[in-house]
Amino acid sequence: MLSLRLTSFTHLFSPPSSAVIARRSPAILRRRHHPRPWPLAASFSAQSSAAETQDRVENSKNRVTERVITPRSQDFNAWYLDIIANAELADYGPVRGTMVIRPYGYAIWEAIQEYLNVKFKETGHSNMYFPQFIPYSFIEKEASHVEGFSPELALVTIGGGKELEEKLVVRPTSETIVNHMFTQWIHSYRDLPLMINQWANVTRWEMRTKPFVRTLEFLWQEGHTAHATPEEAEKEAIQMIDIYTRFAYEQAAIPVITGRKSKVETFAGACKTYTIEAMMGDKKALQAGTSHNLGQNFARAFGTQFTDENGLREYVWQTSWAISTRFVGGIIMTHGDDAGLMLPPKIAPIQVVIVPIWKKDDEKEAVLNAASSVKDVLQRSGIKVKLDDSDQRTPGWKFNFWEMKGVPLRIEIGPRDVASGSVVISRRDIPGKQGKVFGISMEPLNLEAYVKDKLDEIQSSLLERAIAFRDSNIVDVSTYDDLKAAISQGKWARGPWSASDEDELTVKEETGATIRCFPFEQPQGVKRCLMTGNPAEEVAIFAKSY
Amino acid sequence: MLSLRLTSFTHLFSPPSSAVISRRSTAFLRRRHHPHPRPLSASFSAQSAAAETQDRVENSKNRVTERVITPRSQDFNAWYLDIIANAELADYGPVRGTMVIRPYGYAIWEAIQEYLNVKFKETGHSNMYFPQFIPYSFIEKEASHVEGFSPELALVTIGGGKELEEKLVVRPTSETIVNHMFTQWIHSYRDLPLMINQWANVTRWEMRTKPFVRTLEFLWQEGHTAHATPEEAEKEAIQMIDIYTRFAYEQAAIPVVTGRKSKVETFAGACKTYTIEAMMGDKKALQAGTSHNLGQNFARAFGTQFTDENGLREYVWQTSWAISTRFVGGIIMTHGDDAGLMLPPKLAPIQVVIVPIWKKDGEKEAVLNAASSVKDVLQRSGIKVKLDDSDQRTPGWKFNFWEMKGVPLRIEIGPRDVASGSVVISRRDIPGKQGKVFGISMEPSNLEAYVKDKLDEIQSSLLERAIAFRDSNIVDVNTYDDLKAAISQGKWARGPWSASDEDELKVKEETGATIRCFPFEQPQGVKTCLMTGNPAEEVAIFSKSY
Repeated sequence: MLSLRLTSFTHLFSPPSSAVIARRSPAILRRRHHPRPWPLAASFSAQSSAAETQDRVENSKNRVTERVITPRSQDFNAWYLDIIANAELADYGPVRGTMVIRPYGYAIWEAIQEYLNVKFKETGHSNMYFPQFIPYSFIEKEASHVEGFSPELALVTIGGGKELEEKLVVRPTSETIVNHMFTQWIHSYRDLPLMINQWANVTRWEMRTKPFVRTLEFLWQEGHTAHATPEEAEKEAIQMIDIYTRFAYEQAAIPVITGRKSKVETFAGACKTYTIEAMMGDKKALQAGTSHNLGQNFARAFGTQFTDENGLREYVWQTSWAISTRFVGGIIMTHGDDAGLMLPPKIAPIQVVIVPIWKKDDEKEAVLNAASSVKDVLQRSGIKVKLDDSDQRTPGWKFNFWEMKGVPLRIEIGPRDVASGSVVISRRDIPGKQGKVFGISMEPLNLEAYVKDKLDEIQSSLLERAIAFRDSNIVDVSTYDDLKAAISQGKWARGPWSASDEDELTVKEETGATIRCFPFEQPQGVKRCLMTGNPAEEVAIFAKSY
Repeated sequence: MLSLRLTSFTHLFSPPSSAVISRRSTAFLRRRHHPHPRPLSASFSAQSAAAETQDRVENSKNRVTERVITPRSQDFNAWYLDIIANAELADYGPVRGTMVIRPYGYAIWEAIQEYLNVKFKETGHSNMYFPQFIPYSFIEKEASHVEGFSPELALVTIGGGKELEEKLVVRPTSETIVNHMFTQWIHSYRDLPLMINQWANVTRWEMRTKPFVRTLEFLWQEGHTAHATPEEAEKEAIQMIDIYTRFAYEQAAIPVVTGRKSKVETFAGACKTYTIEAMMGDKKALQAGTSHNLGQNFARAFGTQFTDENGLREYVWQTSWAISTRFVGGIIMTHGDDAGLMLPPKLAPIQVVIVPIWKKDGEKEAVLNAASSVKDVLQRSGIKVKLDDSDQRTPGWKFNFWEMKGVPLRIEIGPRDVASGSVVISRRDIPGKQGKVFGISMEPSNLEAYVKDKLDEIQSSLLERAIAFRDSNIVDVNTYDDLKAAISQGKWARGPWSASDEDELKVKEETGATIRCFPFEQPQGVKTCLMTGNPAEEVAIFSKSY
């Protein structure tokens, strides 16, 4: 097996200071983006050069250093980057802001894909693939789309050694090219609904990046549908955000708040944007998935029409929805602790690790045989199991290593266990002796049932813990002063809102918080806007965010 | 369901004339590529404008036209393009040379991915993801790599609204960025072997394109491994071409010839290239998958070293291997007939289509109920089944439509069938009455067993037919005149070869054929080179190719 390769990300992604946090742009996923100055070429070059030099130094240094994870309370961002490096989830790519997703990190993404693919197909969607190069003129066709995206584009200007007549945009999202094709495929109401999904890479030219959360290139799925009526499109947009919600709760053990974005925060080109918002371990919000009711905006811009049952030409009503590798970052920041990653069993690439323990050489064979048969039993029952039989490391080192990798359950087998036909099982989510159980019978049926029960318990426990954390960090507020106080404590504020877009921007400027969503789940009773004192129909969630 | 949308590709991809065929570049998958003149920008622009205009005209025209498939004997290329359009496998993208893979075409690619993913992981490989933007300087590091690829590159020169200091190449393959990362992950023999795979999109700027076979952007998997010894690397390269071979025979029903590429045809930067060569319906060869023993070429260029067991610093030995969406084109051209697509059951997105037939309204409910229960039975047994219960089309139209879509089995259920508790089953690979069987009992276990047997039979039958076609079109030759005669008849020539690279290029110039491979399976006995008369150790396969 690969030995541990330590590469710290800390020096590559500067943790933002409080001042920077206050000024940072909103989370990028399908969001409008304001251009900001690019550093001077000289400084960029110097920075790249310095980064590479430092990267080599770090590699050399860490080759003889044990892994270090900065405690969350000391520096949450450094903790995050240390986990990604030490758990070998991802690395820095050669182009600034790009990410290499390593096998362990990619396996988490594959688990997400596997679940969602089933759900998408069950609800009538088919996968397909659109080219990633989009003529620049397409982006210009939809006004708010071009305004929202042009500062984030990567442009291909040379192809096959020649300057291109028209610049090509490397896909930042696909609404424009989708509509170009929809005009060729949709002619009649009989062609509707048209419901497709694409798994692909996407490029957004970002100044500040953070692995998984915001990278120059990331992986995602984007669904696109066309409907004959606005009601059907709305139903679809709600259905998809519900699929994301269930995924978050049931697979990722992340208790999201599902709701509608404010007008200011709505996707460029959409009428309504629905979102799932997750609270990270540092209490900041992560927009973990979005579903957009696009109305007829793109249909009008591209002329995507159909003939209805009465022979009239109408524009289609559309949706689009997406989840990206950012969700992997969300899992890390929701469940990780100072010992490392903590993965929910349902999406863990390795659910159980077996560590055989022997002191004398003549104990080795019996222990390894027992460990191997335990592995076979669990593997045959569908559990993802890893046997760490390496001679290169001590059992204690292995315990720390797999804890750091977030493996839900560890099985220890030593000579005494072999003699008694039992194993010791430790839980990742309950540290030390409290989480360790001795004398579990190795008998196949018993062991399988026990392990599966414990995996289910851990899955539930992680969700319960995350719910408790989230709920204890949301403050109900009735006034702007209360809101400011809550935000300054790093919490989320929930309060009635019916103020203007300008007021919303004032809140952001003064507190760093944005409206995360108007939750679908609304409290009863009369509400008064926390900002203006006017009647308000709904409460909004405010928080600082990634 | 979507109604049929006819878009002919014929006008978009000009079928090459014989003269063009003899001059065309070699099949490009991991191949060296010679630059050739690009049309003037004015003509390019005119062509784009004309293409778009014509595309609209075609759409309008076909909206009221039944589908037409050009017979293979009349124009094989037009036949191919008509199938892709009519079966709704793919469409032309807005950027010249790009392809939109529609749901039906993409489902075939997904079936390929599903099978290969299992095989790759069984043999110790893990999936991961490398960024697609590669600094131009990386391409320049390996001499033959840059020579082979620079005419095919797409370059990003603008990011976030600013000119980039260094141009970025959109991934044409990943050996360079893989080695950049390998230098950070590999330090000791304990880190080896490192065995990874990536599923991704790739860009090659092509002048002549053909959907699935050669497009500006295509989807593929590329495996990359690093080893401590040349023997281990060679073993890996052979293992992977064997996995591709089995996939071709067992899943795609395509009898490939597996072998080693000539030196001239070896991948830019590789020591040895292994290939699977498939014979298409027009007898041209398609390079369907390749596996490269890269030796230490990239390791030396990038400094990818490890410390061996004796403490010495050594360069790693590497492999890379790939299959792409080109394989989908291979399936179409191997098995399709003049009625349309013919899909091997193991890769078919729809294995069985059920067509309910009723004349009177009073018959409809009983027929639909029976059809629905048959669907449930088959679906529960794991068969991919489609019930076409649309009122918009006649049964006859549906028969032709699903035949054209290549669905292996069709089940017909009419009122008399309902009354007798039976169904009629037609095979796609045996047309008309000969392929139709009446009175198959609807009893679940009987029906399931029958359908599964027939699907297996069709899978075997397609392979047998393809083997017979291939073997009857390979001519054993002993002289250059014999070779020329075989090629001029459109066949493959197999003959002893030990001549020079210059002689090989001469064969290409004079006959249009290239050495496809030196087959692993070699005949016994003394061999004399067909070109020089000198002793030869092995026979080579020559043919024209895609």
